[in-house]
Amino acid sequence: MKISLNWLKDYVALDASVEEVSRALTLLGLEVEQVIRTGAPALQHVVVGEVLVRDKHPNADKLSVCQVDLGPAGGVKTIVCGAQNYKVGDRVPVALAGAVLPGDFVIKQSKIRGQLSDGMMCSAKELGVAEDADGLLILDSRPALGTPINEVLPPGDVVFDLEITPNRPDCLSHLGIARELAAWFKLPLLYPQEKFRGEIAGAPHPELLRSVSVLSPEDCPLYTAHVIHGIKIGPSPAWLRERLTAVGLRPINNVVDVGNYVMLETGQPLHAFDARKLGGHQIVVRRAADGEKITTLDGKERALNSRMLVIADATKPVVLAGIMGGENSGVSDDTTDLVIECAIFRRQSIRWTSRHLGLTSDSSYRYERGVDPHSAVEAAYRAIDLILETAGGQVVGPACIVGGDVPWQREIVVTHRYICDKLGFDLPAAEMRAALESLELNISREEPTEDRGTAWWVTIPSWRDDLDRPIDLVEEVLRLHGTDKIPSAVVMAPGLIGDDDPVVLFNRRVTDYLVGHDFHECVSYTLRSAKEISTWVSQTAAVELALANPFVDDQSHLRPTLIMGLLESLKLNQSRGVVATHLCEVGRVFIERNGQNYECAAAGFIIADPVGARTWLPRERADFFTTKKHATALAAAAGVDLAKLPLVPVTGSFYGWQEGQSAAAGEMAHGWTARFGLLNLAMVKSLGLTGKVYAGIFAILPEKLTGEATRRRYADFSLMPAALRDFALVVDEAVQADDVRRTLGKIARAAIGSAFVLESVDVFDVYRGQGLPEGKKSLAFSLVFRSPERTLTDDEVNAAGLKIQEEIAKTTLWQIRK
Amino acid sequence: MQATLTALVAKAQTELAGLTARPALEAAKARYVGPNGELTALMKQMGTVPKEQRPAMGKLINETKARLQELLDAALAAIETNELRAQLGPAIDPTLPTPDARSGTYHPLTLVREEMCRILRKVGFTVADGPEVETEYYCFDALNTPADHPARDVQDTFYFPATAHFGNVSKKTAEEKYLLRTHTSSVQIRTMLKGPPPIRIVSPGRTYRRDATDATHSANFNQLECLYVDKNVTVRDLKALLDYIFGSLLGKDTKTRFRPHYFGYTEPSFEVDLSAKHLPKVKKEWIEIGGCGMVDPTVFAGVGYDPEVWSGYAFGMGLERLAMLLYGIDDIRYFYQNDLRFLNQFA
Repeated sequence: MKISLNWLKDYVALDASVEEVSRALTLLGLEVEQVIRTGAPALQHVVVGEVLVRDKHPNADKLSVCQVDLGPAGGVKTIVCGAQNYKVGDRVPVALAGAVLPGDFVIKQSKIRGQLSDGMMCSAKELGVAEDADGLLILDSRPALGTPINEVLPPGDVVFDLEITPNRPDCLSHLGIARELAAWFKLPLLYPQEKFRGEIAGAPHPELLRSVSVLSPEDCPLYTAHVIHGIKIGPSPAWLRERLTAVGLRPINNVVDVGNYVMLETGQPLHAFDARKLGGHQIVVRRAADGEKITTLDGKERALNSRMLVIADATKPVVLAGIMGGENSGVSDDTTDLVIECAIFRRQSIRWTSRHLGLTSDSSYRYERGVDPHSAVEAAYRAIDLILETAGGQVVGPACIVGGDVPWQREIVVTHRYICDKLGFDLPAAEMRAALESLELNISREEPTEDRGTAWWVTIPSWRDDLDRPIDLVEEVLRLHGTDKIPSAVVMAPGLIGDDDPVVLFNRRVTDYLVGHDFHECVSYTLRSAKEISTWVSQTAAVELALANPFVDDQSHLRPTLIMGLLESLKLNQSRGVVATHLCEVGRVFIERNGQNYECAAAGFIIADPVGARTWLPRERADFFTTKKHATALAAAAGVDLAKLPLVPVTGSFYGWQEGQSAAAGEMAHGWTARFGLLNLAMVKSLGLTGKVYAGIFAILPEKLTGEATRRRYADFSLMPAALRDFALVVDEAVQADDVRRTLGKIARAAIGSAFVLESVDVFDVYRGQGLPEGKKSLAFSLVFRSPERTLTDDEVNAAGLKIQEEIAKTTLWQIRK
Repeated sequence: MQATLTALVAKAQTELAGLTARPALEAAKARYVGPNGELTALMKQMGTVPKEQRPAMGKLINETKARLQELLDAALAAIETNELRAQLGPAIDPTLPTPDARSGTYHPLTLVREEMCRILRKVGFTVADGPEVETEYYCFDALNTPADHPARDVQDTFYFPATAHFGNVSKKTAEEKYLLRTHTSSVQIRTMLKGPPPIRIVSPGRTYRRDATDATHSANFNQLECLYVDKNVTVRDLKALLDYIFGSLLGKDTKTRFRPHYFGYTEPSFEVDLSAKHLPKVKKEWIEIGGCGMVDPTVFAGVGYDPEVWSGYAFGMGLERLAMLLYGIDDIRYFYQNDLRFLNQFA
């Protein structure tokens, strides 16, 4: 909201500097977004001169050499000028040596194309009084020669662009801001004095306004209409135009301008009808009928419905109540009789209609936030004064006032001690009382209390609906004391002996792990496109994870995985010629299962080929088992042992992953899920990426993370030597090594009984090819035996070996490879 | 005999010095001191030596034997040295670059978040967490945001269709809609509903506004909020916390300033300005960094805390904004592009 300093001075005698006023506004909670200076800045060495002679410049076609008379004190100067819009005898602003024009443009005596020039004749733009200018500023009023230019130009103004918080609709007006500043600078607030006070001289004019009826009083508790007869539409006087222009409004005509002026002064929106255009000379405040239409002043036809409040005449809506007038009822150049509306509308009603139609105005903005329920009549009187002053005419009766004064009575009782306790520091009672009273929060009663200091009964004015409880007055006292004067203190922090949330601990552990393994941590957007999700995850996910109201098409869905974001970052780096291989992200993903979405904590990574990298010493590349290791570690960080559930090799039914080169473990039913391995080559290629990409992701329901680490127990270990036996087993290609390992372990344990211990069973070789039938592979296992108390003999280990062989032959389909 | 022995030593000296491999050494050892070696053969001739010469000759033989052993040991040592040397490649050029010098990097937002959490942990705040998909109750109603408040509008907040179901995000009422949280204040409500005061939490996390992405706006961004609930908490305590936080983060010559503001869930409310001209790209005297205030009694009443007994404060700020200020970054989109030339700067 733009506030003019000149305008403010009508209500409060501010003599503080612009900087002081700006700081006061800031500390009052009226955030200053911008300070705009309008009009001419203070200019030294710029005076009025008259062009006596204009000769063509001998060396330049477009320049002239002029003799300019600056009056008795200044004498006649020679000035080279490039403008074309002036003639001999014109008076113009002349900047002489020493002048500094806006933009730090220093004027000095200089030679222009060999011709000496004593200064510069100026345009309005060069003086900083206009945005752009066509040639010199011709001073048509012919001020005396040598007059300093600031005495000729209109005085400047300072406009503060303020951000008004939604709780302070009273500050959406110059009077409201002036009230705050008056309180801050301890100055009186001067209200405008209305001449018209409701007394009506003339007889009723039913031919102008017959009746006002409010059919929807819950939406419109107060409606006032005054009739002014015999006005003349014309341009507003200069002072009114200047005011409106300063705060960014375009002057239209005297009546419209007065309406805007009064709204900007008081915060109360007004509307002026051309009385002749009101069908039936009636005003009906009612809900629109479904399907009814109105063409608003902006030229758009709008379809209405029965939740929307309109001002109608006998037959049709003429105003979208509190928002915008209709094309058919407004003031035009030939208007002679006015109806001035000044009303109170229910905030929620205006907001709903405004949002629903996507139509806001200065008026709706104020109604939505709340207009002082007691301001309507005063504002109408003020507007009538100004219309009579600028457009003539006379008020003819009767005034139609429908609905009553909205009842308003509010009192808050607060004590000195209460305010001090909330602030955490003491202020004198007198300062508090003065602060409240300076904001017109008048004290109706003051009494001492036993232990809470003075108690005040504070009367809340109707424009301060935001003040409702004692705590609200604490803020008022603090605002006027100055929020920059809160005394410093040390942080009091007795320990609460809590730990961070388990999700936070998990996130930290996995980030540390991945960064520790040389991944670059990335952050991607949570919202992804539908296409991406149906391609990479599933069609159902693309349905279930959709937002109702996406802002842009490619950010319409929750992300079900972190991989897509990482691939996008990979692509960005590849396209910029930056070698990126190891990327990771830790964050939320949203996994859909059976029509339910689950928000999960997750960690994911990709390992890409070092595309474009040249190295003098090649290193080993990542493979499936690199991803398995990382995925296992991520699961372990959540307390999940990936080895406890079977690993499922990826088949065609998993989107995104390369069949036969990737694996999955866990399901939402377990509370967690892991996927890792090679990403689908064709799909990676379709993204425009070069090279293979390995990846892994682990996701877990936050509620599965307990944060409690299980305490490890020490297990004794043998100091005796181990005995090793190897078994090479020929099995079907489809058989999984880990199944064989588990079974072999069981057989071995059964074979040795309790005589000694099988310490480990590990695959150390996988072989296919020569010497083996088609469709078979050989898995070689190393078995480590040990006794806790003695060295094993060859005989007993051999005996165990034989038993194992027999058992393999008897119970399995494996062949022992000699 | 003496001459033969001397000659034997001399021969061994020459021959052994030239050996480079273990098999040759073993063979030479056998030739000299083995059962069929030359020294053994000479020792067998002791019987032919006159008796009076035997002690001297015996001494000589022992000396020769010791000498030969010395030579064999030396030869073995030389061979071992050679063997070790053979394991090495050519001498390295230490100035060559490490081919995989790439180190992992934390994202700047993580660095800033963790630093803030560390600072707050020191004064007893623990890090809380909550869902990013929220319901209207936790995101708005419980925070004193009325049903027709503009912040709740579909123009500003991302909602899910009524048909969407989130298996692990609880709703307060069946009619409320799921949405993407617009602030992490919802975590404060969930924390307060979980247990009694006192409470001291910091909740960092992703938040969402339905907004166009440009240099200073992002559809999702990160917030960090603090909530403190105890008895007799004052405005001055809140100011003390902010002075402590920013003094710790940015150095002692950092100043904070409160400006009155409005938030539905705090009263009084303030915006917090920082004066930290020593930071990069800071041109203004005061820069806005966050919002704060004393928890509104309505919020306490809503979660079942007695506002007559309990008081508290809350503070919130944008992490991107803080990171931009700290590092002098001027485009918020860089955080989400993950260009390695960006990420590597914060390692």
